[in-house]
Amino acid sequence: MKAIKWSFILLIVVATAGLLAFGPRANESLPKDRVVIDYWEKWTGNEEAQMRVIVDDFNNTVGAQKGIYVRYVSSSTINQKTLVATAGGVPPDIAGLFDVNLVQFASMGALEPLEDMARERGITASYYKPVYWNGCNYNGHLWALISTPTVVALHYNTRIFHENAAALRAAGLDPDRAPQTIDELDAYARVLTTREPGGRVIRAGFLPMEPNWYVNYTCYWFGGSFWDAQTRRFTLTSPPVVKSYEWIQSYASWLGKDAMSDFRNGVGNFDSPQNAFLAGTVAMEMQGPFLANFIYNRKPSMSTVLWTKDVEMKKSPAERLRNYEWAVAPFPTAVPGLKDVAYCGFDVLAIPRDSKHKKEAFEFIAYVNRQDVMEKLNKLHCKNSPLAKVSDDFLNNHPNPYIRVFERLARSPHAQTVPQIPIMPEVVDDLNSLSQRVSLLQITPQQGLAELQVRLQAQYDEFARQQRARGSTAY
Amino acid sequence: MRSETKNLFKGLGFISPWLIGFSAFTLLPISLSLYYSFCNYPLIQKPVFVGLANYRGLMHDSIFWTANYNTFIYAILALPAGLFIALALALFLNVRIRGQAIYRTLIFLPSLIPAVASAMLWLWLFNSKLGLVNFVLRGLGMKDPPGWLTDVRWALPSLVIISFWGVGNTVIIFLAGLQDVPSELFEAADLDGASKLQTLRHVTLPSISPVIFFNLIMGIIGTLQVFVLPFIMTQGGPGRATYLYTEYMYDNAFGYLKMGYCSAMAWLQLLVVLALTGIAFWSSRRWVHYQDR
Repeated sequence: MKAIKWSFILLIVVATAGLLAFGPRANESLPKDRVVIDYWEKWTGNEEAQMRVIVDDFNNTVGAQKGIYVRYVSSSTINQKTLVATAGGVPPDIAGLFDVNLVQFASMGALEPLEDMARERGITASYYKPVYWNGCNYNGHLWALISTPTVVALHYNTRIFHENAAALRAAGLDPDRAPQTIDELDAYARVLTTREPGGRVIRAGFLPMEPNWYVNYTCYWFGGSFWDAQTRRFTLTSPPVVKSYEWIQSYASWLGKDAMSDFRNGVGNFDSPQNAFLAGTVAMEMQGPFLANFIYNRKPSMSTVLWTKDVEMKKSPAERLRNYEWAVAPFPTAVPGLKDVAYCGFDVLAIPRDSKHKKEAFEFIAYVNRQDVMEKLNKLHCKNSPLAKVSDDFLNNHPNPYIRVFERLARSPHAQTVPQIPIMPEVVDDLNSLSQRVSLLQITPQQGLAELQVRLQAQYDEFARQQRARGSTAY
Repeated sequence: MRSETKNLFKGLGFISPWLIGFSAFTLLPISLSLYYSFCNYPLIQKPVFVGLANYRGLMHDSIFWTANYNTFIYAILALPAGLFIALALALFLNVRIRGQAIYRTLIFLPSLIPAVASAMLWLWLFNSKLGLVNFVLRGLGMKDPPGWLTDVRWALPSLVIISFWGVGNTVIIFLAGLQDVPSELFEAADLDGASKLQTLRHVTLPSISPVIFFNLIMGIIGTLQVFVLPFIMTQGGPGRATYLYTEYMYDNAFGYLKMGYCSAMAWLQLLVVLALTGIAFWSSRRWVHYQDR
């Protein structure tokens, strides 16, 4: 018995010593002669690898010269972790936040204003496309700079269009171009939708809820918005917003809500070959320029019809388009004469309050915002550029052959970002729930929007009142 | 120093690590959360006392009532059915049959699978187009099987069904209780000519009533606090059909930066659990029989 006991103790001691001596070690060895700044970012997979290229470039060049080392940490639920870390007084030096969290954090003093540091580097309003610059500014301060932007447009499967050319022409539609109005979009969608005899949808021409990433901003294409920044009031019951939700509901009505639910349930993840657009189960969808990367990685046959990628890149921009069985056009609007409406989202690099190395952190942010670096990053991520100036190399050698369409949309006077509402995460959740209930025919748009108008306005008013009670003069 | 005092200090010294940990990581946070429930506290700003404003706000919050309703329905469905299934399985596992150890292992194994892995597994099982459940149902002749997690009518019942996957812990506790029933009672019932059902009703169930009571209390606490599965599988959808209380608390705390509001919700939940537990204790006088009393 004693022998067993001592053998067991010896085993534990040996195992402990072994782990201490030979156990796991951190992958990264940090340079001792540099200021280490922690950069928390939401990206994983390919996007993480691409951002790490930029981080490594900085560490090997500007970082080496200025004694700064950026440590990239991939973090899920980035907004929550940044929030808790900031509240605990140990925030990262740079946080890669979502656009919907920027004003929320800024309104509560969780971020460091950057306008002075940006001005020193020549980063001013004229350096950026207006829509993105305005999105990073709130209540007179610059709260972040952009890492990668996006702008959404209509993607359509040209192979499906051509295969159904006769049916489209019979309906008075042109199979060689994208729909140019919402009514045309609906007409194309009806022609291109196919069903089994029992009613199950095999292919949807278009679904407002697929993907449902931008459905909350549908009202932009109806000439409206759900927030008036001047009066700081929600406008959820305004006619354009109501019409946009009626349009969303119309698809559930003519497809059948059960058929639509059943169809959407069979759609795979965005980053998979079962992505609806890649699988050809949706003929048209609203998406950003990065879709091209996912198409090339998950279903390359859609993007290499005639040539391989390296052969294609030597062709002219116009010729390159022949290599694709998909195309991009501005998403159509419901308002006659209103064109080039776009929702522009973005990811930002912000410096949390109480960050220990603000100046060094801004060195990296400024580096990312150099035109050459920004273009390199956004070519890797297959996104457009937030900067006013864009090089010919970026436009001609971008992996997305339709990058000029996205660039034009991002410069459009009708380009809009996420509304600057301090309670935006709550607004997003409520609008997501509403669009689901509307799509399931559980509630009429009028009733749902009227309820939300009362609820969200009360929430905002309470938020403003609380901030005034804390001494804020901004509300 | 008197020896009793000495002994007291010695004892306190030995339990001081636990005392310090309990005070720092349990008692202090609970006390602070009670204070924060009376504050406006966005976490990244200091708490400001607002009295009962959070509690009043909850009473007028339609989503709070939606979450309450969903949680109540979930508990009403999941708790009795879960107890019934666990008891039935325990009765089955208590019978001496060949492969008893294998059956016990198989029934307990699912409760060892991490919740996130279970959620991913069930997401695919319940996929209305590609999932195994509907594949079997279609094979059995059902033309339009339910949409499960994407169907407003079936989403919450789907979560209830998934909750039965983890009854292994409850089964083990029931099994231990069943094996503790004195065999003389069964012999006496047999001698009196009682049928299996009568033996179950008049001997087995009363004998294991303390165990049923324990599992009932744990079940009340567990079903009212369910979070992981709906958070991963449905995110409260479709159309907030599976938006449960704890998820709304989480969203308020970390999504909307309303830690004070969330704290108020937590204390209300505690009061509800206490009330239900109190009712269960009060009712236990009638139906729980302890062997030594």
